Amino acid sequence: MTHETLGVSKYDILFEPIKIGPKTLRNRFYQVPHCIGAGSDKPGFQAAHRSIKAEGGWAALNTEYCSIHPESDDTHRVSARIWDEGDVRNLAAMTSEIHKYGALAGVELWYGGAHAPCMETRQTARGPSQYASEFESLTYCHEMDYDDIRRVQGFYVEAARRARDAGFDIIYCYGAHSYLPLQFLSKYYNKRTDKYGGSFENRARFWVETLEQMKAAVGSECAIATRFAVDTLIGEDGIEVERDGLKFVELADDLVDLWDVNVGDIAEWGEDAGPSRFYRQGHQLSWQKFVKQASKKVVLGVGRFTDPEKMVEVIRNGELDVIGAARPSIADPFLPEKIRDGRLDDIRTCIGCNVCISRWEIGGPPMICTQNATAGEEFRRGWHPERFPKKGSDDAILVVGAGPSGSECARVLMERGYVVHLVDSAEKVGGYVNEVATLPGLGEWSYHRDYREVQLGKLVKRNRDSQIALGGKKLSVEDVLSYGADKVVIATGAHWVTDGTNCLTHAPIPGLEGTPRANVLTPEDVILGTKPIGKRVMILNADPYYMAPSLAQKLAEAGHQVTVASGVELGRYMHFTLEAPNMHRMLHELHINVLSSTWASRVEDGRIELYNLWGDGHKRVYTGPGKMPRSANTTHAWHEYDTLVLVTARRSEDALFRALKARSGEWDARGIKGVYVIGDAWAPKLIADATFDGQRLAREIEEANPQEPKPYRREAAVYGSPYQPGGSYEIRYQG
Amino acid sequence: MKILVPVKRVASLDDEFELNDDGRDVDPDFCEFDLNEFDEYALEAAVQIKEAAPEGSVEVVVLTIGPDDADDVLRKALAKGADRAIRVDDAGLEEADRVAIARVIAKVAENEEPGLVLCGAQSADQGNAQTGMSVAALLGWARTAVVSKLDFTPGAATAQVERELEGGLVERIEVETPAVLTIQLGINTPRYASLRSIKQANAKPIECLTPHDVGLADAEIGGAGALSRVRRVFVPERGRGEIIAGTPSQQVARLLEIISEVNG
Repeated sequence: MTHETLGVSKYDILFEPIKIGPKTLRNRFYQVPHCIGAGSDKPGFQAAHRSIKAEGGWAALNTEYCSIHPESDDTHRVSARIWDEGDVRNLAAMTSEIHKYGALAGVELWYGGAHAPCMETRQTARGPSQYASEFESLTYCHEMDYDDIRRVQGFYVEAARRARDAGFDIIYCYGAHSYLPLQFLSKYYNKRTDKYGGSFENRARFWVETLEQMKAAVGSECAIATRFAVDTLIGEDGIEVERDGLKFVELADDLVDLWDVNVGDIAEWGEDAGPSRFYRQGHQLSWQKFVKQASKKVVLGVGRFTDPEKMVEVIRNGELDVIGAARPSIADPFLPEKIRDGRLDDIRTCIGCNVCISRWEIGGPPMICTQNATAGEEFRRGWHPERFPKKGSDDAILVVGAGPSGSECARVLMERGYVVHLVDSAEKVGGYVNEVATLPGLGEWSYHRDYREVQLGKLVKRNRDSQIALGGKKLSVEDVLSYGADKVVIATGAHWVTDGTNCLTHAPIPGLEGTPRANVLTPEDVILGTKPIGKRVMILNADPYYMAPSLAQKLAEAGHQVTVASGVELGRYMHFTLEAPNMHRMLHELHINVLSSTWASRVEDGRIELYNLWGDGHKRVYTGPGKMPRSANTTHAWHEYDTLVLVTARRSEDALFRALKARSGEWDARGIKGVYVIGDAWAPKLIADATFDGQRLAREIEEANPQEPKPYRREAAVYGSPYQPGGSYEIRYQG
Repeated sequence: MKILVPVKRVASLDDEFELNDDGRDVDPDFCEFDLNEFDEYALEAAVQIKEAAPEGSVEVVVLTIGPDDADDVLRKALAKGADRAIRVDDAGLEEADRVAIARVIAKVAENEEPGLVLCGAQSADQGNAQTGMSVAALLGWARTAVVSKLDFTPGAATAQVERELEGGLVERIEVETPAVLTIQLGINTPRYASLRSIKQANAKPIECLTPHDVGLADAEIGGAGALSRVRRVFVPERGRGEIIAGTPSQQVARLLEIISEVNG
């Protein structure tokens, strides 16, 4: 019996269609433009990733930002492009797949100004004034004169026509994240004194004219949308919602069918794509909610909305008309369908870790998702997030370890119909996530565990021979050999080392070898709270992600005096996840002392000798064997601590696997066809990648050697197949 | 020596369910079935006694009463250490209450002559906590309910048991055997089955009997042997909430209206 037949209708408002210009959104679930690493160059990836969400019930699916002209080229990052017929053909694959499921396809037309480094095209973007990008390295724009303005507006119009021809229903003029239209509107960039600068009306002129021209060109066939950062969060130097923000909405309202509103800029766009470490669901509503007061058109906004109750509240309160989502749509492409069918406990809730975004920030590898291991694998591996191939054998499978990798592997194997025994000595499914989610701000990461725990609980009931065995003693080699499993999957995770081994010296730190000292702790020790921690804490860090900053925060908030000595850039990966700016503010507020470019030469009880990594001589000379090619480092100095925390390296917990491997001669007699390793037990990695490992092995378990991944379908340029109609692959020189 | 462990296939309800047309039970299509959790502890207690005794000297026999599908709980028990399984088919037992069920168990006990009958303290779905005690009464054996500690050497004339009482008190009892004990949760940690033991359990035969086979007369079977009858199963009506919408002043107005309605 479905919820509808019971008359439960509290989510009905989310399923009411709404008209946007000449088009209609079938419900209120809208995938806003977001990057995936496909662009126009991987049309299969693009088409499959967007259309899987159309199948899952979303009303509209957008491309990522889509460059309108070669002088707005974001290489090294991956944007879509709609420069020519080749791009039209490739993007049309996306629109036609989306249309098969009755959803609308949108394209976000983008011109970056100085934020487009043009490293492929070697052109130079134009801007309202000449400035150096605060986001890029060494990128200036050319200040436009009136001819330039008309020319760039022409780029938008031509791109809009091509977008229409490619089958797009919704065409954006992208003015959030500090891109060109907003650069004109904001005094932060626009220093002009002519009719495109100065007063609000003058600063708004470029954007309004561009919208007018786009609407005239394609507005009768396509909905015109604009993405607008209604507040750039820098006060009166930029856009403030109750001043220029609302004035612009009023001014341009007649030209726009759909307002997609957010806050922030490009250099700190984590204020928009807020990580769960700092921002909860709906964190932009304080600004977004004003827009409907000034607009008669449809208003949508993002805010990592995952909870249908909150979505209903936001619409009923008149704050937004449509729920925009990027990350929640990646974590669960079937979010709308699951809400409609009342299957709330089947939702894979976005944990807000921003690992998806990190890939764009890194420069364009395919997007990944911590929760949804199939994200980005739809086309190239043929992975559907909700459908699984039936089991290929009657093998019974033992999975040792119920962390991210093991629980995902067991879940997918059970979905496929295998008899699975999932065994963990912990009392709870989750493994490392159970520890990490207790760190400050990371509570939502536990949704990763919750999803798998709930699904495993349901799946285990489907097969009376399957079992989830928690809280027992750790399985020994003999236990595994005599377990009766046909195949064994080892997912025993990893641990933080106690001897200071690190990525800088690849060796233990002298003084830390052997049995750990009582006042030298690992992150697990701090998280589990099993050992006393003194007043003065020294964190020695060689890990580039969140562990050292998180422990520093936790300990400083608990009243400890915290110093972090870091041999790598502290929280470097958090730049990619957009957590870095507020992490640094937080470290500053908590008076955490950060010693950068610093490593340790030795440790004694209560003191550590640190040195500056750049303290040796800059001149390199060969002076014979046994001698260093640089002059000695003279920066060594002792620092006292009460407690030393080592965030230096993780090490696979692979003893069980290696012992089983050593007895592989006995496998056959014990009925074991294979023993495989996944996740951190193979090598420490992101939770997203550990989860992927589990999913992959479960989908390939029947292969001759599932330890080796099957090749995926690659999308790459094909020699001899020109991208442009009439193009050629011959090598031809001028002259 | 044998230890008889009667186990029940208990039902848990789906989020949404329907009742049978006669309104006396839940439609089984809306139920999931599993081995009663209390019985897992009773089984584990039996298996631990067996494992502490010389090999081959103790046989753990599990018994259930139900249709073919109930074989699942017997297989689970076999995988967790039971040696032999008996299912008494429930055809003709539709109107049985716990006393009528106890009549079946008591007959099997008479036939098997176990030194102990270990039951779960109650079933997770019905929670009567009467079947075990009824079996003891029918057999005329010593019995102790809600046992939280059990110490028994096969062949001994008595078993030492403990029960937890109000206020943190513990009652230690010496019970003559053969005895019927009902076992409380937490008395031990039930084991998980390995894939090997599951495969072995799946290959074992299950002895299938009818109530007549075990020696019950028609007058003792099903409704005829019952002392009670379920008249109706229903979901009691619940009060309905109202979400008060509108501006603060409209909300206050509606609230005052409700208060005056309630106050009459």
